[in-house]
Amino acid sequence: MSKCAIDTMKAVALLAAPFLIAAGCASFPNAASTRQAAEKMVSEAYPYTGADLNRRAVQDESQRMCSGIGGARPTPEQSAEIVKLARASFTYPPTGKLMGDWKVGAQLVSDGRGQRIVGGQIEKLSHNGALCINCHAIDPNEVNSGNVGPALTGYGALRGNSEATARLTYERIYNEWAYFPCSNMPRLGASGFLTPEQITHVVAYLLDPQSPVNKK
Amino acid sequence: MNWLLRRVTTILIACAGAVAVTSAAAQSNPGDALAVGRQMLAEDNPGELWVERGKTLYYQKRGPRNASLEQCDLGLGAGVVKGVFARLPRYFADTNKVQDLESRLLTCMTELQGLKREDIVRTRFGNLDRNSDMEALVSYIGAQSNGMRMNVRLNHASEREMYKAGEYLFYRRNGPLDFACSTCHIESGKRIRLQDLPNMTDPKEMQLTVATGWPAYRGTHSTVRTMQHRLYDCNWQMRLPDLGFASDMSVAITTYLNYSANDGLISLPGVRR
Repeated sequence: MSKCAIDTMKAVALLAAPFLIAAGCASFPNAASTRQAAEKMVSEAYPYTGADLNRRAVQDESQRMCSGIGGARPTPEQSAEIVKLARASFTYPPTGKLMGDWKVGAQLVSDGRGQRIVGGQIEKLSHNGALCINCHAIDPNEVNSGNVGPALTGYGALRGNSEATARLTYERIYNEWAYFPCSNMPRLGASGFLTPEQITHVVAYLLDPQSPVNKK
Repeated sequence: MNWLLRRVTTILIACAGAVAVTSAAAQSNPGDALAVGRQMLAEDNPGELWVERGKTLYYQKRGPRNASLEQCDLGLGAGVVKGVFARLPRYFADTNKVQDLESRLLTCMTELQGLKREDIVRTRFGNLDRNSDMEALVSYIGAQSNGMRMNVRLNHASEREMYKAGEYLFYRRNGPLDFACSTCHIESGKRIRLQDLPNMTDPKEMQLTVATGWPAYRGTHSTVRTMQHRLYDCNWQMRLPDLGFASDMSVAITTYLNYSANDGLISLPGVRR
């Protein structure tokens, strides 16, 4: 606890707080006590649901390192740790085939549903959407796309569709933090939000020369 | 409810008949196409109906104690509604808590009127079948600061603690999608699909977002929503559980955001998609 905070407590006990404030003692709490207070708030923020759902608000190690105040980047050591954890998270489809069906991918990229909690229950769907166009322009003819992430129009036309490109694309969708620690992009495969098979369909949508993404 | 629907319908028809003003900005980026609809609604804001209903509710003797809210101290003394929104959230000695408008009203409705907390929480968000008293009261009280400027102060140690906690929470990533408020709200000109996202680190954008923002009539919801609902809705999209109404977390984030909107000229209720 800072000297100021202790002084303030003493002053309150003496009913002399106004004098201290007048003397300029109006400091903010330090980072450790802010963190403690805020984490307590999180633990009390979800009174309508049980531990199984409330677990979602508990941070994993990488999320903690990616929560710098003011958007502060992780230290080089933390970045290395985040990359290590992300690389360890990779799993691949049993078939080993990373290019799926681009037409299935086309459905997935514009589907923004999945895993939302409605009335205390997880929404019932046959599968989660891949959420892509919420943040990325992908199909040059799709108007309804966001710009929080970079435009991916012509992704395959620019990069080709070699095995190496397919693998890189698959891994970046699976866990972008292996390549860009603390990227805004969710770790869609590592969190289980998308299955490996679903990711192969999105890879195909991005890379297949027949996909609208790569049509002029 | 029927009279209300009829009035809203009348207003909407009147809006549709009005000349659609297409600004130069509306043509420059696809997100702004929606500004036309917002402008049409703002010219005859349906939220005014919630202001009227909130005024009636404020003066009405209600609850087991048959009391109006005229003895409610919203920060500037019992019975004062003018200017209170501009100063909220703030520390209240009787509850020893920092409270926003909604959580303070919750205190007054339970303690002065004897209404049940769980009933107020259950009906906190209105729908087409049932209006929310909370949304109406917040509309009325918010509008009583119109023409004034946001002026949230951090004089009390608890207010400073709430502010810093709110800042921490703003950047705190969590949930299945790794999101924090900051994922979407620390750059200007960003959109989720076609929805513009305010940059909450830019005081100018925050002044508009807060001082003309919440409470706001939401066209897609056909009701006024408050800041508590805005935060609940963001949490929902982040795949988090339903945010506790008037929770300290919600008040902390509101303290952080409202403080950053200081000097914003208040004009409420707003109109949003």
